[in-house]
Amino acid sequence: MKDRFPFFAANPDTVYLDSAATSQTLDTVIQDTNDFLLNHKSNAHRSGHSMGAWVDEKYHSAKNKIGEWLNITHPDKRIAFNSGASQGLYDAVQLIKQRFTGHISVYVGVDAHHSLLLPLRDASTDIKYINVMKDGMLDLDAVNNAMRTDSATCKVLAVNAVSNVLGVVQDLDKIRDICKNNNAISILDACQSMGKIEHNYDGFDFVTWSWHKIYGPMGLGCLLLDEKWLWYSPVHPGGGSVSHVSLNKVTYLETANRFESGTQNLQAICTLPNLLDWLMDNQSQIINHDKEITAYANELFKNKLVKSHTGLISFTTDSGTVEDVVMMLDAYNICVRGGNLCAEPLVTGLTDKNNLIRVSWGAYTTKEEIDFVFEKIGEVSARISKFV
Amino acid sequence: MQEFQNLYEDLFELEDPMDKYEFIMEYGSQAESVKEFDFQDFELVPGCTSRLWLRYNKTFICQADSSIVKGLGGMICDWYNQANDKQRQEFNIETLNNIGLAPILSMGRQNGVANLIKRIKYLEYWGNKNSPS
Repeated sequence: MKDRFPFFAANPDTVYLDSAATSQTLDTVIQDTNDFLLNHKSNAHRSGHSMGAWVDEKYHSAKNKIGEWLNITHPDKRIAFNSGASQGLYDAVQLIKQRFTGHISVYVGVDAHHSLLLPLRDASTDIKYINVMKDGMLDLDAVNNAMRTDSATCKVLAVNAVSNVLGVVQDLDKIRDICKNNNAISILDACQSMGKIEHNYDGFDFVTWSWHKIYGPMGLGCLLLDEKWLWYSPVHPGGGSVSHVSLNKVTYLETANRFESGTQNLQAICTLPNLLDWLMDNQSQIINHDKEITAYANELFKNKLVKSHTGLISFTTDSGTVEDVVMMLDAYNICVRGGNLCAEPLVTGLTDKNNLIRVSWGAYTTKEEIDFVFEKIGEVSARISKFV
Repeated sequence: MQEFQNLYEDLFELEDPMDKYEFIMEYGSQAESVKEFDFQDFELVPGCTSRLWLRYNKTFICQADSSIVKGLGGMICDWYNQANDKQRQEFNIETLNNIGLAPILSMGRQNGVANLIKRIKYLEYWGNKNSPS
């Protein structure tokens, strides 16, 4: 699949193993971005001219194809475009705050990405952290038990579908059931799972992800929401979110467009139809490839925190600091990520060095690249250990 | 300062980036200015990806988690401790470019080194008591 990603032809010496942070870009996305800017740049919605109609068509096609990809009905009412998962998570929390003014009780995985954790901490002072067990799975039984006796006006269960530190796929069916049985609102950060695992994302209140992690454009995300949230006012009211405005009254759109005020990132949205065709056509191949690389990496990296399920593997260094290792790997044109990985509470709890190295892959990654980074980590660690 | 000139020339002549890193780490393990001390929060140099602490008491001393950062910090502090007024005044991030350090420093690290130089100049002028928190 590497030949579908022009980055690698342009940078043949680069070993890119930071795909959990952002993936490289599919060729159609680059071509479609150029095409939009060269030939079609105009605004969607209500344009009288044919260029605007072209953008409109792409916009609706993108939502319909997301619906097809995720097996979601009424995508126009369920999917809102935004700038990325961080905005989606923030907006989800704001909608919950709008709906419930009383005591909000939040259950959040201790492995939560900061983008999930921080809006929740802003919304409630009653935060209960869900422990991660030895295998990286969240202790959902404890959540279920606690929720049964929780008398809060509103209960929220917010988790990463896959931790960006551990690469462990959480039991999404169980999470959905717990929320249903306890009348709790569910928020799913699907940044590391979308396009990597097969799953039905229906039945959650809010699911968010960013397209740049799925071979797509930067600056574009989606919030998939339950239709009941269309009852509530936009978090960011403005042009494009309304059907009617008078001096005394505002009527918001009855579709998810009400959560997309202003001009959307149309140059990014117009790349989605072709990207989604590629994702749907190659879904099995992408998922099987990920499984193969994951199994290979699990075998190779003995010092991993937990056995990874998908996309990435994290481990501590035997010598020196993570920064030394990452900086020295960069000299070999190897891109990996080190640090607290935007999940500081988890990372500080799991390691005595407060930081980790994460190797993460995509549909274009080869086993040879995993071998190469493994070998070079050994080499640089040996050099560093002489001075520690 | 001839000693430093030789040091930088040696570093500059190393072609393999791994050898450069090793040279820097070795320097950090022996540098006069790299010392164990009971650092305070305010002595942390902001903007570094990994932690670097700097203290001034007639001379500059530093400490860091990372071996590479320790070496870089040590080189800069040692140089500064021995420099004359004019050299100190003229010292900036460009000086590092001239000795071949810049290419092996990531942008994040260059920001960290720039902050270290800024903090050195601040402490020299104001002393520790007035350090910004």
